[in-house]
Amino acid sequence: MAGLKDTLKRLLFFREPEKIEKFILKENSTDRKIPETSITNDDLQNKEEQKNREKNETQNKKKNEDLLLKNSGKEKQDAQKNKKKESEDKSEISTSLSDNLEYMKKIYTVPINGDVVIREFKITFKDKTVDAFIIFIDGMTNGTVINTNMLQPLMLLSNLNIKDVSEGLEEHIKNRLVPHNQLKIFRSYKDVIDQINFGGCGLFVDGIDVAYAADAKGWEHRGVERPNTEMVIRGPQEGFTEVLRANTALVRKILKDEDLIVEDIAVGKRSRTPCAILYIKDITNDSLVEEVRKRIKSIRVDYVLDSGELEQYIEESSFLPAPQIFATERPDRVAYMLAQGRVAVIVHGSPFALVMPVTGTDLVHSAEDVYIRFPYATLLRLIRILGIFMALLLPGFYVAITNYHQEMIPTDLIFAISASREKVPFPSVVEILIMEVSFELIREAGIRIPGPIGPTLGIIGALILGQAAVAANIVSPILIIIVAVTGIGSFAVPNFSLAFAFRIMRFAFIFLGAAIGFLGITTGVFVMGIALCAAKSFGVPFMAPFGPRTAGSFANQIIRAPIWKQEKRDDYVNPKDIRRQAKISRGWIKRSPGKEGKGGK
Amino acid sequence: MASKIVFGKWESISLLAVLMSTQIFLGFPRLMVEAAGTGAWLLVIYAAVLAMLLFAVISKLYSPFEGKDIIDIGGLAGGNAGRIITGSIFLLYLIFIVSVSLREYAENMRIIYLNVTPISFVEMFFLAGMIAGAFMGIESIVRLGAILAPVIAVGFFMITFGIYPYYDFSKIFPVLGSGVNNIFLRGFSKISVFSAISILFLIAPFLKTNKNFKVTGYASIGISAVMLTWSSLINILAFDYPAALERLMPVFQMARLVNLGRFFQRVESLFMIAWAVSGFLYLSAVFFFIAYVFRKTFKLEYYRPVIFPFATLVFTISLMPPNVITATRLEIDYFRNYVWIISFVLPIVVLLIARARIKASKTGGAENA
Amino acid sequence: MPKKVCMLLVIFILCCMLPGCYDRQEVDDFAYVIAIGLDKGKINILRLTLQLAKPTVIGSGGGGEGGGGGGGSDGSEATTTIVVETPSIFSGLNMANNSLSKKLNLAHAKVMVFSKELAQEGIERYINAIPRTREIRPNISIAVSTSSAEDYIKAVQPHLEINPAKYYEMNYQTFKYTGLSINNDFHNFYSQMKSTYQSATAVLAGVNKFNSAEDFSLQSSTYDEKGRPYPLEGDFKAGDMPRESKLKAEIMGLAVFNGSRMVGELDGHETTMHLMVTGEYGHGFITIPDPIRKDYTVVLEVKRSRNPVCSVDISGERPRISVKVILEADIQTIQSGIEYEKPENMKILEKAYEDFLRESIIKYLKRTTEEFKSDICGFGKIAKAKFLTWDEWERYDWLNRYKDAEFNVEVDFKIRRTGLIVSTVPVTLSKEKEAP
Repeated sequence: MAGLKDTLKRLLFFREPEKIEKFILKENSTDRKIPETSITNDDLQNKEEQKNREKNETQNKKKNEDLLLKNSGKEKQDAQKNKKKESEDKSEISTSLSDNLEYMKKIYTVPINGDVVIREFKITFKDKTVDAFIIFIDGMTNGTVINTNMLQPLMLLSNLNIKDVSEGLEEHIKNRLVPHNQLKIFRSYKDVIDQINFGGCGLFVDGIDVAYAADAKGWEHRGVERPNTEMVIRGPQEGFTEVLRANTALVRKILKDEDLIVEDIAVGKRSRTPCAILYIKDITNDSLVEEVRKRIKSIRVDYVLDSGELEQYIEESSFLPAPQIFATERPDRVAYMLAQGRVAVIVHGSPFALVMPVTGTDLVHSAEDVYIRFPYATLLRLIRILGIFMALLLPGFYVAITNYHQEMIPTDLIFAISASREKVPFPSVVEILIMEVSFELIREAGIRIPGPIGPTLGIIGALILGQAAVAANIVSPILIIIVAVTGIGSFAVPNFSLAFAFRIMRFAFIFLGAAIGFLGITTGVFVMGIALCAAKSFGVPFMAPFGPRTAGSFANQIIRAPIWKQEKRDDYVNPKDIRRQAKISRGWIKRSPGKEGKGGK
Repeated sequence: MASKIVFGKWESISLLAVLMSTQIFLGFPRLMVEAAGTGAWLLVIYAAVLAMLLFAVISKLYSPFEGKDIIDIGGLAGGNAGRIITGSIFLLYLIFIVSVSLREYAENMRIIYLNVTPISFVEMFFLAGMIAGAFMGIESIVRLGAILAPVIAVGFFMITFGIYPYYDFSKIFPVLGSGVNNIFLRGFSKISVFSAISILFLIAPFLKTNKNFKVTGYASIGISAVMLTWSSLINILAFDYPAALERLMPVFQMARLVNLGRFFQRVESLFMIAWAVSGFLYLSAVFFFIAYVFRKTFKLEYYRPVIFPFATLVFTISLMPPNVITATRLEIDYFRNYVWIISFVLPIVVLLIARARIKASKTGGAENA
Repeated sequence: MPKKVCMLLVIFILCCMLPGCYDRQEVDDFAYVIAIGLDKGKINILRLTLQLAKPTVIGSGGGGEGGGGGGGSDGSEATTTIVVETPSIFSGLNMANNSLSKKLNLAHAKVMVFSKELAQEGIERYINAIPRTREIRPNISIAVSTSSAEDYIKAVQPHLEINPAKYYEMNYQTFKYTGLSINNDFHNFYSQMKSTYQSATAVLAGVNKFNSAEDFSLQSSTYDEKGRPYPLEGDFKAGDMPRESKLKAEIMGLAVFNGSRMVGELDGHETTMHLMVTGEYGHGFITIPDPIRKDYTVVLEVKRSRNPVCSVDISGERPRISVKVILEADIQTIQSGIEYEKPENMKILEKAYEDFLRESIIKYLKRTTEEFKSDICGFGKIAKAKFLTWDEWERYDWLNRYKDAEFNVEVDFKIRRTGLIVSTVPVTLSKEKEAP
């Protein structure tokens, strides 16, 4: 009841907008004040909680005293729990080995947790024997690395006489005893636990209040294969895998630039999923990077498992019928977009990397457009745009024309349609809905049909089903063509998210076309156009460079110019360095004067 | 909020050109032929030249007020009262034109293919577009306009070129049409055709510099003059002089005539899309300005809450004329003959008063100091 | 915010569903009218004939048409006709709708046929119905039928195609390659009817009155008025052609209007002259008697080379109109075998054609001024350019002055190509019995 009243109130009355400044990507990144931004969300959350609390208190004072007491009691309990956890988390490693051992066993629930291994051993140091133990997770670690690089040197080599023994045990272990290429020292339990959780090996030594963690990752994973979704004919055939470091290595392998920064961030309270933000330091706008960092850091969830989830958490509008972040499986695509001045985020465990910001025309580009000659790229882009329009509008147009604008159909065709529709009992709208819904069913089912029958059944099923439906006089033959062309058009769109969004929107257009013909479709196009034009993707207007006309970025939007004309980076991303090719990028064109030969350009 | 929105030149030019040119799709060519016979195109050129001259005067007067819109200047001229008066006049003018245009568009749709649908249902679709546009703000409307304006122009030119078999250049003779008197003297009030230039005075704060302001004004008057002249010219070339007086929507009839071969005929429904889109742009832009002017005049903080009440108001007013003829007559007789006073004379008056006041205060200050 | 949008959307959709979808008509809910015929009614003002298409027959490839080749004229036809007597066109549609299961739709009507009687009374009142409605398209053809419109429409049962609409469309375009008829679509007809400088014309259509080749007669041909020994291809009007076929409908000739009343007819040959003067002539065969051997004929395929050059001099009492028609030709047949391909003979042939055409054009133009008193060629357009304002033009009153006009006609005729043959070798034969 209160919810309904609230909704009505929100519907009828005007709610003042929040006074937060929405992120706009400005020219100079020096305008942004960094510390302010990271507090805002927290402040707001606190303010809201406070308001709610006050409301509760004042309204329900008389009635719900018990509840109030319970509430505040619960709050107190929660607060205490939080404090305890914080104090425990932040606690330092103790010097007593047995304390450490007990604590680790408790944290990891050791006897029950089968794959956590604790190995105790002794180290010799300055003629003393010191106890130690390592802890690691079996299956996540490479046993050989642990044996050769940790256990062996500590257990065996520590017995050798080392000449200079002036340093303490802590320094000694780090400097001389553990020949491992990534050894870190930590003071708090939490950090060591994080490392162990991700394939590290933790080392605790009696009498030292720090612990060491070595990276011993070695789990089973898929190798670098062809990308599944973005196939090209001309171009590299490598796709991302699920391992973060392998993915960043794939990108670094292409760019080989020391200005490429790979920043590490962990997302998710429990999953602590490692993510990497990639950007090229002296091209990308700093405020863009800052905004990406801020958004990712402020996510408060337990588990973030895939880049798809991350995308949905950091995109601006969840309701826009177009994606605002670009997901790709190809490292060369990511490298190209980084060179354009954008920011990429790679999430561990997901073969899809996210690139932002993105504009409408990026969703029409495919990776191949850069590698092939420019007329072919232009033709392909025009065909894709045609595919987009058909996927969205073709059924709506068919319904509008046959129901309202019959005079538009040529006379021969109208007799053919009339004759074939004679025996069909349904009105056109119902016909087309039946066929569209069955097509979507076949598409969805085709994904899960096992074995080699899968894709074949999809196509054949659609055709045969269509033919059978025509023979049974359920639908008219021209409809099969319409539905098939619509489906094919939606496959022609390179971006999966966009194609999906348009698959949904076309139903809206069918209804609009059936309601009032071309006027309805125009209304739909207009409203969708307004929504897309108002949308921003990380501060960049979605329809740039057509929306706000930005200068000189038309060499590569829809019609691709020859490669020697691609001189500037996209202006709407506000990169620090706008020029990427010299004016005459092909040095061989210029010929020295006096030589015979064709004149250069 | 207002100071953060900036328009580029292309966006503002295309917005104003669309605002001034959508009348082509309604009844404008017939209006010109009514006024001047076969000299209709001359009349348009004459009106364009006059409008440019007047705009030159206004932009010269505007130079000390860089980045302010006409309502602010009204405030400078007469204080609170001045601001409210200027704002209310603009408000009434905008409400009137939006209601009449909404009614005209809906009636035209009904005549073309929706015979039985009640007018309120048709208007509801236009209203939906208007409200969506106004909610999202002028930025999105202008951006969409920048994308769609070339499409509309291309569609329009395709219609006019598609009827080339019907061109007959002897139809523009006699050249002076209904006579010099009719064209040049009585034709003065036809500068109201360019009355959408007053929207330029409202978006001056978004344009920021005077140079942008001037360039936008001249370019938009120029572009729409070309389109309007072309449409009047084709109207006479394709339809005859006396017969052209009869048609309600000349451009629609032109689209029906397109008959290039056995296949490329019957395409008027496609052009209807171009026309409906230009109608949407026009209506939503003007509707946004109603809410915006209201906010500015009465110094409110938000403009979004007033959108729904104004939508209802506009809807109701648009249903008031009893038939399509009165609605069109309202636009043609009263509006197009007298609105030049509001579009051109009022800004000049307000600017003069404001300048005089500023000079007075400056000299007063200089004396005091 | 999104919840608000959702609620708005729901309300919007509900509002859309409340009134229902008006004006939504399925394609097969319509009965498509292909031709409209208007006659003088016997018991009422107007007799309306509507020819409807049968999509099931047309769309499915005309199934029974092949079987009916033997003589079937009913059963599997592609069209059906309805005749109603009514006071006006739309009341007739209303009445006819009551017998049909589908709604009549005029958007695909291709031709509107008036009967001669009705045309002579004036068709303004019926033509005025068309521009207001959005259903009838402005490129519908206007025809006047020498017999009744009903007979003409019923006689249209096309044999070469299944779709009768296609028959109408294509038949009315034949003037481009025969030159014996015109195609004045409704838009032009209407403009001309209401213009101050041109009068309207419409093609003559008719039903062939010969049932078999034995019945052929030259009674209604105009050949002997012109002093010819035998009729040339254009000396007929629609319905009088010596032609026999199962498809009895035909078009040839022109109906001349003054205002909205028909005042006369032109036969095929005069129609060719009309097309040449207005510049709409495409190409066609023109036959004349051989200039050297009069009992043979020469056939040339004559084409319009450039647009005719017309000028009007209005300085004097009577308007003086000079017309120059520029044509070119290819030799099609030389029956006599005389070598007209040689330059000197070619000149004779060209001169013969020039004289022939010039005489015919002058005769035709004289007919328009003396008999019809209506300017169907549109010379008024050229006269109009000489005035500065509309009022002056209206005061000049061209339509009334046209009947006093004098003409000066020139024909520029050039033979360009001779086909595949460059010179003809005479036929050889052995001498027959020596003449005593």
